[in-house]
Amino acid sequence: MDVFRDVFRNPLGLTVPALTILIVVFGLPTVFFFFASLNAPEYSLSNYQAFLYRGANLRILVQTIEVSVFATLICLVIGYPTAYLITAAPKRARIALTVLIFLPWLTSGLVRTYAWILLLGDNGLINRTLLDLGLISSPLALIYNRLAVYIGMVHIMLPVMILPLLSVMQGIDKSLMAAARGMGARPFSAFWRVFLPLSLPGVRSGTILVFVICLGFYITPQALGGLRDVMLSTLIATQIATSFNVGMVASAAFILLAIAAVMLSVFGLDSSGKQAHPDRSHRKDRPKSVFRSSVLTKGLGDRVRAAYWARELYQQGDASNWLALAGSVFLALVMTFLLLPGLLVIVMSFSGGAYLEFPPSTLSLQWYQSFFGDPSWTGALWTSVQIGLMVAVLSTIVGTLAAYGLSRTTPRIRSSVTICLMTPITLPAVVVGVAIYFGMVRLGMLGTATGIVLTQSVGATAYVVAIVSATLANFDRRLERSALSMQASPLQTFMRVTMPLIRPGVIGGALFAFIHSFDEVVQTSLVSGFSIRTLPLKMWENMRNELDPTIAAIGSVITLMPILWLVALYVTWWRAGPSARKRWLNT
Amino acid sequence: MVGAHVGNLATACTEAASSDGSPPAQIEFRNVTKMYGRTAALRDFSLTVRRGEFLTILGPSGSGKTTALMILAGFEAPSSGDILIAQKSVAAVPPFRRDQGIVFQSYALFPHLTVRQNLEFPLEMRGMKANDRLAKVDRTLEQVHLKEFGSRMPSQLSGGQQQRVALARALIADSPVLLLDEPLGALDRNLREQMQSEIKQLHREFGKTTIFVTHDQEEALTLSDRIVVMRAGRIEQVDAPEALYDRPISRFVANFLGEANILSQDGSDTFKGGAPAGKVAMIRPERITIRSFAFPSVDLEKRQSVMGHVEEMIYAGPLRKYHVRVGDEVLVVREHVASGQLIFQLGDRVQLSWLRSDVRFLAE
Repeated sequence: MDVFRDVFRNPLGLTVPALTILIVVFGLPTVFFFFASLNAPEYSLSNYQAFLYRGANLRILVQTIEVSVFATLICLVIGYPTAYLITAAPKRARIALTVLIFLPWLTSGLVRTYAWILLLGDNGLINRTLLDLGLISSPLALIYNRLAVYIGMVHIMLPVMILPLLSVMQGIDKSLMAAARGMGARPFSAFWRVFLPLSLPGVRSGTILVFVICLGFYITPQALGGLRDVMLSTLIATQIATSFNVGMVASAAFILLAIAAVMLSVFGLDSSGKQAHPDRSHRKDRPKSVFRSSVLTKGLGDRVRAAYWARELYQQGDASNWLALAGSVFLALVMTFLLLPGLLVIVMSFSGGAYLEFPPSTLSLQWYQSFFGDPSWTGALWTSVQIGLMVAVLSTIVGTLAAYGLSRTTPRIRSSVTICLMTPITLPAVVVGVAIYFGMVRLGMLGTATGIVLTQSVGATAYVVAIVSATLANFDRRLERSALSMQASPLQTFMRVTMPLIRPGVIGGALFAFIHSFDEVVQTSLVSGFSIRTLPLKMWENMRNELDPTIAAIGSVITLMPILWLVALYVTWWRAGPSARKRWLNT
Repeated sequence: MVGAHVGNLATACTEAASSDGSPPAQIEFRNVTKMYGRTAALRDFSLTVRRGEFLTILGPSGSGKTTALMILAGFEAPSSGDILIAQKSVAAVPPFRRDQGIVFQSYALFPHLTVRQNLEFPLEMRGMKANDRLAKVDRTLEQVHLKEFGSRMPSQLSGGQQQRVALARALIADSPVLLLDEPLGALDRNLREQMQSEIKQLHREFGKTTIFVTHDQEEALTLSDRIVVMRAGRIEQVDAPEALYDRPISRFVANFLGEANILSQDGSDTFKGGAPAGKVAMIRPERITIRSFAFPSVDLEKRQSVMGHVEEMIYAGPLRKYHVRVGDEVLVVREHVASGQLIFQLGDRVQLSWLRSDVRFLAE
């Protein structure tokens, strides 16, 4: 009890478990790895020189940046109007649309990439339909080129762009637009002069987040791109799997890291310094704003200050009716783009024929049978479930403790520690993976379940911290003081008051941790050392070798899982009682 | 373990109270200073609160009043100085072992518990048996007129009802001390007045030592036995409400409690009102008599008078306020509305006069 009190008095103590895991698994290896890249103990830049002097490498580097920039721009161009239209929609539609944007984000990236193979392939849905209609005589080259890479990447990253935009846009006081209109601004200038500047923080968050994640993209370019569309991450992964040139891998990883760091510091940290509220700084806010909508209750609960202005916007004569129609069509197209591939996989997984078809000529469960009848598949599933549960438990505990501790420190400490804890999910995945890989080699945990659990926990903890912190930000500390004043001990206060009130956030964090573990391919494939096969690893393997229809079956199961999660989350939220519901709706 | 500790503390309180003839000091702040970085939220704060007293800490926001309360409650540790409860230092006692009932700003009712569960909480934490709790909660609910609301959630109550639950929750465990942190701030005017009288009645009934923090001077004057006026972390003046209003020691106190006409130092002789060096003369608006220029009051032995013209007239129900320009100054005059009274119009020439004995000399 005294120990608890000491910890209670020094809130930073609660972040120790999370930071320890982070430092041992990711932090120290990164440092060693960095020295390795400099050829320690001789210290030279020879690795970097060797890397950059090879024209092929340089081309890949430029290509990685180019692909990331274009994918980010496409996401922004599609994402901004989408977010704007959702914000302007009536409350019910807005909630529904937010959930629909959210669903694909929860779905495995692997399955979504697989869906595009089914759609774009030479024997894919589009080509076959066009052939059947007699519009073309030979399949169009839709896949294994740059276009397919963009389609796949934008499909995966679009929600990541839209969610921060939505979070910022819904926070903009709608009466400001009305005020601008009242002062004689036409709808467009009201948007241009008032709404757009206020929404820029969301643009910045979304853009940086998307760009940095794109830098580390590995699965999608490799699955959908041609031989020429190699990204730096692919190069790194191949190097590790084959020739294993430490200097080469290290210099490639740190060049990627440097680009990410420059982007983050130039567009992230720097501009946040100019903001009036230091504790709402951009860096800290970014993960939060992504996940603010992620706690369903919150995404659903954003206050409806006035849907009126939006309606008013559209009631400005005939031209606006056309505008509204165009808006609806646009939204419908974006939603189709986001959701259709997943739906197709689900429908096609019930195909009765020898291959997947749409619409299925006969229905059968054959691919499900082949999944559940094959011990190598069920074994992988079981491994994934076990690892996922361990990751969820570990990261929920350390993440919740850390978030709780951070909520009671000064804003400055909070924001710097949070930034540290977020690095595993804000830096390019492959860089994090390579660093952890080296750590695991040193710790002798390569290819062990413990190693995989630790690897995934580093990322999962970041999600838990982000979600629980967002919940705690809305938590009124006076309630704790109130309990203490009624002679509840700190432990009792936490269990009886704090925990019940932040429970939805903790459960949401646990679900995210599980999903993260269940979907993770890049880092897991590096650390697994080919000896442990999780479900995504097995899927990835089969996807590369052949277009195995069994993947459609397991893919639909995985795709449906987030819906179950959302239902679970909704039920916890609902069970929290009417008052809690009302409270969350008001926050 | 917690319960036992508290029991001791509670007994200690009662013993201390009965050992002395005059009302003993229940709470004592000794030179308490609280620094946040380089700024002092509270500077050299010394105060003794007697048992059963209703003491109000009054001050503008940022004057340190809530800090003083939070230090007393144990949520903030003083940077220096000591706090004594029943003659014992509580500097090292964590908040959950100090036996105090607290009503927080915006009530801090547990949103996930029903009204009944909220009231049970402090009893449960003190280890009271379920049956006893039931009876006690029932009794308390009746006392605060919320008998039918036991199974409601706090969010389903009106502001006034929430306020009553918060009060009941602070009182239910029979702690000897009640701390109230701006508890009426969120209520509208009518409800606030009603709650004021309820709080006063509760204080009469239970006789608990009560410390009330507010920035509302009217509330302070209505409720308190004594008022502590705070300014920038320091105590400006401590006195009974009437004394404080009638004999403020500084311009700050005079302005903070009610309206004050400061007679400037450098104007005419009349305006100086005979103020000694370094002091200013002050007259309350209701102490000034306003007469028509044509029929001035002439008792110049006891009275001082000035001439001016009405610059503004504000009608406020039972009161009428005049702003009268006298040279460079504007004096505020407050008059009760009575029938047959002469009403002055804008621009009217008037005579203002007041008793010399009503003029107060204040520190700048």
